[in-house]
Amino acid sequence: MPDAVLAGVGAWTPPRIVTNDDLAAYLDTSDEWIYSRTGIRQRRIADPGVATSDLAVEAGARALKSAEIDHVDAVILATTTPDRPCPATAPDVASRLGVTGIAAFDVAAVCSGFLYALAAAAGLIATEVAGTVLVIGAETYSTILNPTDRTTRALFGDGAGAVVLRAGRADEPGALGPFDLGSDGRYAELISIPGGGSRQRSTGRPAPDGDQYFVMQGQPVFRHAIVRMAESALAVIDRAGWRVDDIDRFVAHQANRRILVRVARRLGIPEERCVMNLERVANTAAASIPLALADAVADGRLRPGHRVLLTAFGGGFTWGATTVRWPDITPA
Amino acid sequence: MTTVYERLSDLLVTKFGVSATEIEPDATFEELELDSLALVEVAMAVQEEFGVDIGDSELTPKHTMTSAVEVLTANGVSV
Repeated sequence: MPDAVLAGVGAWTPPRIVTNDDLAAYLDTSDEWIYSRTGIRQRRIADPGVATSDLAVEAGARALKSAEIDHVDAVILATTTPDRPCPATAPDVASRLGVTGIAAFDVAAVCSGFLYALAAAAGLIATEVAGTVLVIGAETYSTILNPTDRTTRALFGDGAGAVVLRAGRADEPGALGPFDLGSDGRYAELISIPGGGSRQRSTGRPAPDGDQYFVMQGQPVFRHAIVRMAESALAVIDRAGWRVDDIDRFVAHQANRRILVRVARRLGIPEERCVMNLERVANTAAASIPLALADAVADGRLRPGHRVLLTAFGGGFTWGATTVRWPDITPA
Repeated sequence: MTTVYERLSDLLVTKFGVSATEIEPDATFEELELDSLALVEVAMAVQEEFGVDIGDSELTPKHTMTSAVEVLTANGVSV
């Protein structure tokens, strides 16, 4: 049975930078307030008219170039912010990347989406449905945030990251390790967009004002994120046959600096082994892990041979983790 | 005899970097620079230390050490 092996990585963020001070100009917040609670200084925001697929195509093209290929057998796009409710965005992204005719679908697991998509891609490879898969996480959260909500406006940014997986062997550098995935739908409402889906549409009435926006209850999410990411991470460390001391780089979903520090502390991973780029790009949901990987490779924090632990937590609730020994690849 | 107040003080000093000299019965969490997210962590630490679940919003930045001890005790924390 073929194993999924990392063959390329790429990322793209929109050029426009919005700093905490920019937000403080019209929201009741401040750089100190945001930074002390989140570790975020700025975020990238897509210009009007730029959709998730536009970011996905940019990141996807860079990952293909990094892998030195121009064709894949499947495209999986993890996103909370598809271009439209129907159809999925992945087929459009695939065609614009020049690979019309292949399998292409979206994965909706909010901030855990990239890990879910990686697992799905590994499954396509293991079953020999595909020999190569482009996995993209892309988001334009700026399109779903309430302009007057100082909390979510401060937390989220736009961006995209992607990796190419190919069929290979488990003992190769870049081979994905065991996966742990989980969910708990009892907490669905704590991270949600209440309106616009069949639950609201079935009432025959328009969505109450504000229900078209993303809402999150910070305190319970904070607690569950710490507990679930730590548990999920421990599960894959154990199944990979690693010890915590073996982990060279810890790349968690870039939700909030304080969550990441706390998860690392629970696991016993020193803070200097934690990859963080949220100070510059904020929380980019499904895009955050591949964006952090691409950033860390580009600036030398992540090097070939490193044992890397990935974990994420997001709306649903959903969570997951996997491991990989970093291969010799560089972002295009 | 160790009290709930003393154990909470110890926990804030050892796990949350609060200065022991700043902890007084009337000091609020806000004055001790513990915000709402830090208080979620305090509730988690209380759970680990005392084996008692404290809800996410039961401790607020406005609570004083004294009123926080009352919340913990009401939830079943004892020494």
